[in-house]
Amino acid sequence: MPERTAILTALERLLFLLTAALIPIGLYVAFLAVPTEEKMGVVQRIFYFHVPAALAAFLGVALCAVFSALYLWKGDRAFDLVAHASAELGVLFCTIVLITGPIWARPVWGVWWTGEVRLTSTMILWLIYVGYLILRQNAENRDQAARWAAVVGIVGALDMPIIYKSVEWWRGLHPKVLKMSGGGGLDPQMERGLMICTASFVLLFTYLLVQRCRLGRLRDEVDLLEHLTARLPDPPRRAAPGGIA
Amino acid sequence: MIPAIDLAAIAPALGALADQAVPVGGAASSAASADATARGLRFLAGAYTIVWVILAVYMMSLSIRLRRLARQVRRLKERLGG
Repeated sequence: MPERTAILTALERLLFLLTAALIPIGLYVAFLAVPTEEKMGVVQRIFYFHVPAALAAFLGVALCAVFSALYLWKGDRAFDLVAHASAELGVLFCTIVLITGPIWARPVWGVWWTGEVRLTSTMILWLIYVGYLILRQNAENRDQAARWAAVVGIVGALDMPIIYKSVEWWRGLHPKVLKMSGGGGLDPQMERGLMICTASFVLLFTYLLVQRCRLGRLRDEVDLLEHLTARLPDPPRRAAPGGIA
Repeated sequence: MIPAIDLAAIAPALGALADQAVPVGGAASSAASADATARGLRFLAGAYTIVWVILAVYMMSLSIRLRRLARQVRRLKERLGG
């Protein structure tokens, strides 16, 4: 067991070092290495953090849905911990998407926000998972809340394909960034830049997920220990200096 | 009859001309372009600052919560052991 803990600690340290090394490289690539887009100018560089943040948000939501389903199936608390942590990170990265998107849109489209389907469906996804977190935060019965939250986590993930396909289905204003097939798309240098930034965000997501899961385990440990100590007699109070306890 | 033009043959020459092209409006146009770049830079700086502030606040809150819980676990274990 101590050997396993040592291996996990070493892996965690390696993950941290990789993340810490790749983020400055991503910043260098996004600001200096890639060419400036012709039509949008420098503001297009927001894209190197907006798109990876969107992918990290999707990863959070997808993991939440998968681990929620596993929790409902197996009833193992460990799955619920991962689902909860993923949902929190999904909300974090979705918040970044919803803030950087309008900052890009203002100089390019002339408005901060429109009723465009991709924007609206992303906002809905954010609201669903904020609801998920509120549900967990305010529940009195932990197991019941975990079951309800798992259902929300699975149903909420159905919004993801709508967000992804919305640009094709409704032909909105939002640019198509990821083209899986066919011509056009990004300049190769921009594509490489996007890959590096995406890798740094995925590593950051993974590192934060590991830490957030540890937080969940610690909270469970505190609950268990508090339950055990509640049976012990109260510790003796120290006498006040004046002799009055 | 319109004579056929080999576009492929003259493409490099057209490209070179385009590179040398002076924007209409001269100084006024380049000033507008500099303004647009400065404006774009302001938006870019704002976006990146917000991204890193959000991430830093989250990481700090995570670290504080982790330390608080670890302290609580230690205290409770001491109490159980004592």
